[in-house]
Amino acid sequence: MDDLDVNLTRGTLDLLILKALSWGPRHGYAVSDWIGQATGSALQLGEGTLYPALHRLERQQLVVAEWGLSENNRHAKYYRLSAGGRRRLQTGVSSWHRFVEAAASALRATAPVPAA
Amino acid sequence: MSDDRTRRPFRLALGAKHLKRDVDQEIEFHIAMRTQALVAQGLDAETARARAVAQFGDSAAVREECVTIDTQRSRATTLAERLGNFRQDVAYAVRSLRQNPAFAGIVILILALGIGANTATFSVIDALMLRPLPVTHPEALVTIGDPRATGRLSEGTPESEIASYPLYTDLRDGNHVLTGLYGSGRTGRLDVVIDQAPASAKPGPTEGEHPHGRFVTGNFFSVLGVGAASGRTFAATEDRVTGADPVVVISEAYWRKRFAGDPAAIGRTITINGAGFVIVGVAEKGFTGDIVGQPSDLWIPVTMQPVVMPNSPWLTKRSVSWLLLMGRLAPGVSLESARTALSVLETRSLLENAGSERRYLETRLHDAPPRIESGARGFSYYRAAFASAMFTLTAAVAMVLVVVCANVANLMLARAAARGREISVRIALGAGRMRLVQQLLTESAVLAIIGSTCGLVVAWWGSTAILRLAAGGPRPVPVDVRLDWPVVAFTLGLSITTTLLIGLVPALRATRSDVASALRTQGRDSGAEMTRRGRIPLGKGLVIAQMALSMLLLVGTGMLVRSTERLAHADVGIARDQLILADVAAQQSGYTDARMNALVRDLMARAAAIPGVAAVSVSENGIFSGTESATNVQVEGFTARVDSDTAVKYDDVGAGYFNAVGAHLLRGRGIEARDNETGPRVAVINETMARFYFPHGDALGRHITADSTVWEIVGIVGDARTNDVRETPDRRLFVPIVQMKHSPDQFRVELRTGGDPARLVDAVRRALLASDPSLVVTDVSALPALIQDSLTQDYLVAKAVSFFGAIALILSALGLYGIMAYATSRRTAEFGLRMALGAEPGAVIRMVLSEAMTLAISGIVLGLPVAVAASQLIRGRLFHIGVFDPPSIGIAVIVLAISAALAAYLPALRASSVAPLAAIRAS
Repeated sequence: MDDLDVNLTRGTLDLLILKALSWGPRHGYAVSDWIGQATGSALQLGEGTLYPALHRLERQQLVVAEWGLSENNRHAKYYRLSAGGRRRLQTGVSSWHRFVEAAASALRATAPVPAA
Repeated sequence: MSDDRTRRPFRLALGAKHLKRDVDQEIEFHIAMRTQALVAQGLDAETARARAVAQFGDSAAVREECVTIDTQRSRATTLAERLGNFRQDVAYAVRSLRQNPAFAGIVILILALGIGANTATFSVIDALMLRPLPVTHPEALVTIGDPRATGRLSEGTPESEIASYPLYTDLRDGNHVLTGLYGSGRTGRLDVVIDQAPASAKPGPTEGEHPHGRFVTGNFFSVLGVGAASGRTFAATEDRVTGADPVVVISEAYWRKRFAGDPAAIGRTITINGAGFVIVGVAEKGFTGDIVGQPSDLWIPVTMQPVVMPNSPWLTKRSVSWLLLMGRLAPGVSLESARTALSVLETRSLLENAGSERRYLETRLHDAPPRIESGARGFSYYRAAFASAMFTLTAAVAMVLVVVCANVANLMLARAAARGREISVRIALGAGRMRLVQQLLTESAVLAIIGSTCGLVVAWWGSTAILRLAAGGPRPVPVDVRLDWPVVAFTLGLSITTTLLIGLVPALRATRSDVASALRTQGRDSGAEMTRRGRIPLGKGLVIAQMALSMLLLVGTGMLVRSTERLAHADVGIARDQLILADVAAQQSGYTDARMNALVRDLMARAAAIPGVAAVSVSENGIFSGTESATNVQVEGFTARVDSDTAVKYDDVGAGYFNAVGAHLLRGRGIEARDNETGPRVAVINETMARFYFPHGDALGRHITADSTVWEIVGIVGDARTNDVRETPDRRLFVPIVQMKHSPDQFRVELRTGGDPARLVDAVRRALLASDPSLVVTDVSALPALIQDSLTQDYLVAKAVSFFGAIALILSALGLYGIMAYATSRRTAEFGLRMALGAEPGAVIRMVLSEAMTLAISGIVLGLPVAVAASQLIRGRLFHIGVFDPPSIGIAVIVLAISAALAAYLPALRASSVAPLAAIRAS
């Protein structure tokens, strides 16, 4: 896997963040942790990359941010899905699956049929 | 009593600093959590933190990106919030105004009047003075000549203010600075017959319709860049051969009005002054010619002039000046360089053809050099004529608006005072002051905008009223007044200004309220508190200002009305109340020289036979009808120092002229029947002329040479003002009409009547037509009506200023009433106490009245010097009234004092009827 040059696209990261928030509000660290675990650390990304994505989602009003207290009593910024974010997650997941299938079937293809 | 802004539980501190701090905190939290997790895995604290930082990546870049995103988001939020606030404010304002419809209604009405009057005045100014012609690139147009001279016809020495046809062709062909130059000239009255057999079937002129026409050169439409709505406009070749192009283009408005927009009108033949013309096209919609205020219905090629006006050879003579010229600047040529080039060309053409008049013309050109100006706004007689009237009106309506604002500001103050507690509570609950000011201003803005909208309706009606007043009759001056962008922008600007004027001070004052004292009064307005905050003094100041401005307007009104009164009854040196004038277009009717002299005698005899006519005579020029002749004379025993010393006005008149018009013969005799074609050439001169040429000796028996004829002076007549009540009499020469070398084109019959001349107008027309039914009698008018017409503007200004003065007076009286009613209601307890202690009701009334009168008198005293100073501005409009006019000032003072007393009487009466016990209990 490591030698493959498959970059995580911004859209995919957004989708993963929305998925991470789909079970309730989380702060950025928790989102980052969940992505690491859920992907088996397969996606090698700097943990910081997450934050501009989160803030962008906030600007697009797909997530809502609020300051709250963390499990260890520290000030943390919590993100939760807005109604729009939840819709975006649904549509995003299905179009992602279509994309992957299309790409996968293309990658499975044998030699092209020569043009007649 | 809710604060609508409390939707967000806490005020978030927004701003760049705050955003950065949040992002830093978030990143720090992440790194701390990661460090903690790594420590839990067994790393030592230092290594764990270093690893956490490394895993995070480029934190500086992340931070920067997050801050950028957040800044964008916060901007959008702030904007949305502001809009939300604004919506809330508007809703709040509308709600609170609806709770108080009487207040809102009065304020809107007052504002509508004030703003409407200003908008109306501005829309007339816009239409007359500011708006460019609806043509292609009007800014590239230049006029040659006097743009006011729209109806002028000058015979004699050429002048620079208006051009002859040969001068036009010289300028058209000789210049290199214009891409095109056209000429247009007056047609006089046109008799147009539509739906009739061709001209040949109808001998002589026929009474028909009289649309407004202009003679134009073939390139008229192409130079202006005006196309045809239907059919075509003129081809540039349609002015090459005299009489060869019997075609007309009509205006879109005339096409709609007269032909109901029927396309079949194109190609139809109409008869103009007896000659057949084919309608070849309809000009673009909205185009009514190049003269603002005098729309044209149809245009005729200039080369058809001799056909339309037989016997008037205007095309060939350099001595007949009648064309207004307009050209389009060639690309890259500035107005300045065109001015120089055209001026040189015109001067050369005039002088080269001047012949024996060259020296005189040189002086004349020196005094009045060729005028080349921007033609973007077209020609207009009214523009110049109404400039000073519109200036006076603008000043008056602006003052009314200030009074309106002072008045409304006062109402707003009272309203803000009444809401003092509400505002205090909101401040106590943490509402920001700016936010409250914004809210109160929104209320003013809502009032101002509704007021302006109603004002536009007032303006729509008002501008027509101004134009109707200006025309002095039921038909308004035909200026296309529209509520177009400049007018709407002007009104919007007024609303904004008004909002600030009426809202800002009350809003600032209301929100200055100190929380504790307002809450302490438990919602009851405290009089003491009011006084301490100085609300009443400000209110009183506004009342005094209104009174002072009203004083200004009333004094102005008085002076203008008195001036108009004097104008209307001024002694002009003739029997102004008894004359009838009938204009006869002799040449157009086919009369010249000997035949015309016979006609003159016949008409005089017929007119004299009309019952009620005391005396009859004729003259070439009319009285108060705008025609004038001038010539140069050599006077026996007089040496001219400058050429202009030889210039005199002249008129050629019939026998018994001075007796007929009621002029005062001072010495010698008038023109008599014996001064016939063969008799010795005689002349009568006026007083001014006699004084000028013969300061020491007797003028009688001396000789003067004019028109290469030597005339002997046989009489001196008193000066008369025969064109304008205001004019200073010119040197004037009268000679017998039958002794003229060339008979005039037209003449007027003057009849003096015993009673009201207006009654005899029809009889006169009948009597003249009885001599020859085909005679063209263009106008029969009673002189009082003509004089009235010449004073139209003065009536307009006097009426309009009186109207505005009355509005200002009513408003300031209302303002005074308001402030007195408020003040007395605050002092109910005091009055009750006074009464309980034995004060007579009369004493209380006197007390309140004297307080009101103190305000009124302060206003009068303040307004008086301003009024005297301001009357300098209307000095030019005044006739026989000094700038310090005691009667006007006296009347203004009395009117203001009476209004003030009336305004204060009701509150005073109420104060005096306070029942002592009730008053004391109430406090």
